[in-house]
Amino acid sequence: MTKKRSYCDGMSRRNMLQLGLGTSAASALRLSRTVAASESSDRPGVDPARDDVSLIILFLQGGLSTIDTLDMKPNAPAEFRGEFNPISTVVPGMQVCEHLPGLAQVADRFSLLRNFTHHDSGHGPADHYMLTGYAPRAGFNGSLKPNNHFPSHGSVISKKLGPRGSVPPYVCLPKMHRSGGAAYLGASHAPFEVEADPNAPDFAVPDLTPPLAIGASRFDARRELMATVDRFREKAEITANSGTRALTTFQKKAFDLISSPATRIAFDIHSEPEATREEFGRNSLGQSCLMARRLVEAGVRCVTIDHTNWDTHYNNFDVLKNDLLPHLDTGLPMLLRDLEQRGMLDTTMVCVMGEFGRTPRVNKYAGRDHWGPSNTILLAGGGIKGGRVVGATNARGERPDSDPVGPEDLSATIFHRLGINGNDEFHTPEGRPVKIVNDGRVLRELL
Amino acid sequence: MRTSLKSGLHCVISVVAGVLSLVPGNVAAQLAVQPQLNVQPQQVVLHGPDSRWQLLVSREDDGLSFDSTRAAEYRSKDSGVAAVSPDGVVRGVSDGETFVEISANGQTTSIPVVVLGAAAKRHVHFENAVLPVLSRFGCNTSGCHGKAEGQNGFKLSIFGFDPRADLTALTQEGRGRRTNRTIPEDSLLLRKASGGMPHGGGIRIRRNSPEFRVLLDWIKDGAAAGNADAATLVSIQVAPRNARMAMETGQQLQVTARFSDGQETDVTHLAKFQTNSEALATVDDFGLVTTGDSPGEAAIMASYLGQVDIFRAIVPQPQPDSSSSFPQQPVLNFIDDLVDDKLRKLNIHPAGLCSDSDFLRRAFLDIIGTLPTATEAREFLTASSQNKRAELVDSLLHRKEYADFQALKWSDVLRVDRLTLGHKQAYTYYRWIREVFAQNRPFDQFARDVITATGSLTSNPAANLFKVAKKPGEAASTISQVFMGVRIECAQCHHHPFDQWSQHDYYGMEAFFTQVNFKSTPSGQVLLPNKATTTKHPRTGDIVQAHALLQDEPGETPDGDRRRLFADWLTAADNKWFARNIVNRVWAQLMGRGIVSPVDDFRLTNPPTNPELLDALAAHFVESGFDLHQLIRTITASRTYQLTTTPSAMNELDEQNYSRALFKRLDAEVRFDMICQVTGSSEKFDGVPTGSRAIELWDSQVPHYFLSLFGRPVRATACECERATQPSVGQVLHVLNSPQIHEKLSSDAGKPAILEASITDDGKLIEEIYLMFYSRFPTTNEQVSVSRYLASADNRRKAVEDISWSLMNTVEFLFNH
Repeated sequence: MTKKRSYCDGMSRRNMLQLGLGTSAASALRLSRTVAASESSDRPGVDPARDDVSLIILFLQGGLSTIDTLDMKPNAPAEFRGEFNPISTVVPGMQVCEHLPGLAQVADRFSLLRNFTHHDSGHGPADHYMLTGYAPRAGFNGSLKPNNHFPSHGSVISKKLGPRGSVPPYVCLPKMHRSGGAAYLGASHAPFEVEADPNAPDFAVPDLTPPLAIGASRFDARRELMATVDRFREKAEITANSGTRALTTFQKKAFDLISSPATRIAFDIHSEPEATREEFGRNSLGQSCLMARRLVEAGVRCVTIDHTNWDTHYNNFDVLKNDLLPHLDTGLPMLLRDLEQRGMLDTTMVCVMGEFGRTPRVNKYAGRDHWGPSNTILLAGGGIKGGRVVGATNARGERPDSDPVGPEDLSATIFHRLGINGNDEFHTPEGRPVKIVNDGRVLRELL
Repeated sequence: MRTSLKSGLHCVISVVAGVLSLVPGNVAAQLAVQPQLNVQPQQVVLHGPDSRWQLLVSREDDGLSFDSTRAAEYRSKDSGVAAVSPDGVVRGVSDGETFVEISANGQTTSIPVVVLGAAAKRHVHFENAVLPVLSRFGCNTSGCHGKAEGQNGFKLSIFGFDPRADLTALTQEGRGRRTNRTIPEDSLLLRKASGGMPHGGGIRIRRNSPEFRVLLDWIKDGAAAGNADAATLVSIQVAPRNARMAMETGQQLQVTARFSDGQETDVTHLAKFQTNSEALATVDDFGLVTTGDSPGEAAIMASYLGQVDIFRAIVPQPQPDSSSSFPQQPVLNFIDDLVDDKLRKLNIHPAGLCSDSDFLRRAFLDIIGTLPTATEAREFLTASSQNKRAELVDSLLHRKEYADFQALKWSDVLRVDRLTLGHKQAYTYYRWIREVFAQNRPFDQFARDVITATGSLTSNPAANLFKVAKKPGEAASTISQVFMGVRIECAQCHHHPFDQWSQHDYYGMEAFFTQVNFKSTPSGQVLLPNKATTTKHPRTGDIVQAHALLQDEPGETPDGDRRRLFADWLTAADNKWFARNIVNRVWAQLMGRGIVSPVDDFRLTNPPTNPELLDALAAHFVESGFDLHQLIRTITASRTYQLTTTPSAMNELDEQNYSRALFKRLDAEVRFDMICQVTGSSEKFDGVPTGSRAIELWDSQVPHYFLSLFGRPVRATACECERATQPSVGQVLHVLNSPQIHEKLSSDAGKPAILEASITDDGKLIEEIYLMFYSRFPTTNEQVSVSRYLASADNRRKAVEDISWSLMNTVEFLFNH
């Protein structure tokens, strides 16, 4: 469709020439428009009533064993039900694993999607499917980084909603998942990668601040000097070249980030009270949850936490009980409580998922293997009603009994709550139109 | 032509050639049209029910065309015979003759209209009438029923490439409810599409619209395929074909479909439109083009049932005052003549000539991907030879870095991929490619060696391409993308949506490569072509003989390795693609933008910005015996290559016609080498000797934070687009703040430390730094401000580090310009 092509004041470029304004004024306006356009992204298809909702994805990479945790089958035969027992939660009728007592206490804040299913049981494609809402196409090479055939949720959010304040719109913790990329939306909607573990004692975002040897005053002196040695600074060349315009925009963003107290404060996890840090759990998952909350508070729209090691082919029960679940059971409930206490839970959607569930039948190594057909998803906040259990799997937890939902529906629901119209299309560089959501259904039963 | 579409004559609405014989005498007498108001066509004959024709009204003013189609007023003399809409669409009502009167810009004219067979019962032909409606309303796109798994159980072939399957889907699948011949109005097809029933895709076709009636009549008529002998669609034509338009004005397009029996139909309302440049011109669903606020040339594609045509809009730069005329500048070779021709058309003025220092830095970075050292810069800038620019280019072509840099680029698209090939094979493949450039082997031989490679991978490493592009189809699309600049892979599954390629074309290309076969021997893998292989069209099952794009298909399978036939065809002097593609790639590397852009997407609907220039460069390349050195010498000798980057009001909005030098983004490897060079540091990469530079890396997967961050390709495809060209905040932050860069700047063994210790005179020190970073002497102002910084610093060494840091983060350093 034809786009309206006029400036903010309604004057067209021709009007301006006719008014006798010089081309330099036109160029200046052009630059400001370019910068403004690239900063604000495009907003058609966005519902402003909901565009303040943020998203935290806690991705349990490797695949959470949902049959042992969020969708237990105590009445199934022993080789299916596993070693753990269910416990009651604060929500009557909802049960979770005995090793998630913390989560049981906040069950009224989240809902479980037990009829979630998809057909892919390979790590790479399933990751891509869950993190983008699209199964990858033929020829997918999961080992590429990014490997995206379609943009990740965070990249779509960055493109459609743009940044909020001086912080980046999409951040990955502690590093970007291989399917966390922007695909055809371009590098400007790739995530800001933290590339460091918030649980590390000396945690700092690389390159965000000048090296320690360069003090603040020396950095300022350098910046001032830089302005005098740049032949093209503020010259017509910058405006007349798309490449230099983009670099200048990013340089400005970079200096904004460096000098943005909001960003520096958001990433300064060390300023968090020691007690709070303990409550979230002194481990990568817990501190990432805390960092995600800090980032959303500072204006980040989407934080994806990539937490690995959930691929429990061997000793599933030992590993879950001793290593993985204790971390999940401190970080996640604390995140929900903390968001609630700060009045942010209604505007922050938290989505906890692995790329798939695990085989209902326990294997000979006391482990469980990959299983896409049943994969319970935990959703909270951002307008998701708490305390609900949607759908059910069959007696052995193999697949949903009825009304299955999949990654497309999850994407539709996420974008709907963030005010993004999932039917809008993007165009790939080849001109192929691709809808934001691959025909998913908004899961009204959660809202 | 390629698609076989049958025309259902009875429902075709047409203008018949030689129509004047049908026009009554009194009508002919009134045919005199006033000169300034142009109406197209000058007479309309409408056949059959619901027939229509889009009129076009325009006027010429000062060499520009102004479209008045939507502004004009239309009046039918007899609305009982023909009706006309406010946007200029004439529709037949009942048989008879009348006139349509058109008023615009204070002038009035009229054209005769004849309506025939308006009340005839129509027999709707499925391919010719139903599929266009489904395509126009997006029913069979990849987002809807056209995707591989269909939509809610209803699957159509994408873009309607498989009419037989679509007919079955509509008439037999879905328990036959999609088309109800007993109560046609109850058909799911109609009820869903028109909103009579819930439909995920919403209301697509309004009830009782002409398109709705086409579907209804088709079902009423038995929902059949239609006459098997019906005429086939031959081509479509857009009107106008081209126009010189002012900025921010509109132009309505009209699309005519021509059938094999000579019938012509207006399909404007069923065609799809797409622009190749949103900035220059946009187009809406109804074929209204609107130009933007930049000068240039846009191509608007119209497509209809697999046929495409383009409208080209030339948008000249407005003249601010009559005093500024096209500058007189020397013409150094044929390139300048052809570039000037195009610029004159667009009223864009070329910039002036660049300085020696600009030329030096540009030529180094373009040709050998390397920054000149301070010594090289000083030597060139102070040399007095009249011919020093040409001499410089010649010397660069014979440097080792030339082969390194070209091998890096070609290893990307020929996919030297260690993960797929393994360490040893990938390395020998790379060495083979590098040797081609080190020896400047003729490019046709290079292509031939790759395409026809046989034997052992060790003795003939070129065969590795068939190890990364394993399947015949993948080899065909890789080779056509790399050596022809044509992307055919869309046509593997369906007719190319933006080009003329059908599945038949795709499998014709694939058939050249189906004999490729590897055998394991004690001495490694050996490529031995199979004797007999056949390729079948996946839909029809017919055997497709190997034939190149736009070539006739042979009647029988030729003997021997068919890849040789392909190589013969490709590298022939009159081949349409090969030389153009290679010169375009080289041109893009030197000029920052291909004449066709992206360089590997030659397409009917992505035309060159300067076809004459592309042809002339290609002819020159063929004449030189495909000599890459000569091509680079010729391009760099042109004035066009040697323009300054400084824009003027008469070219500041142009980035596609070479009116001034563009800022080029540097490849990750080049940029990293530059940083190492100016800081006097080196890096140890895996798999290469110490001291190797990044442009010498044969493996694009060597772990390296900087190279990954700055968008080094992974060589998973043959696409140039794998090299990320977008900057990111992370990249900027890395050069500004990273400990790695800081370490290079502050090392005791680094350039800042050494220069500071060895040059005591501040002025000389600053000069050296400027030559090193910018390949130029500092200006007086720069000398003053940097000297002041040095003089006021407590620590001279740290001040030199600060100066180096500052220069490293400027646009002047971070770009090739």
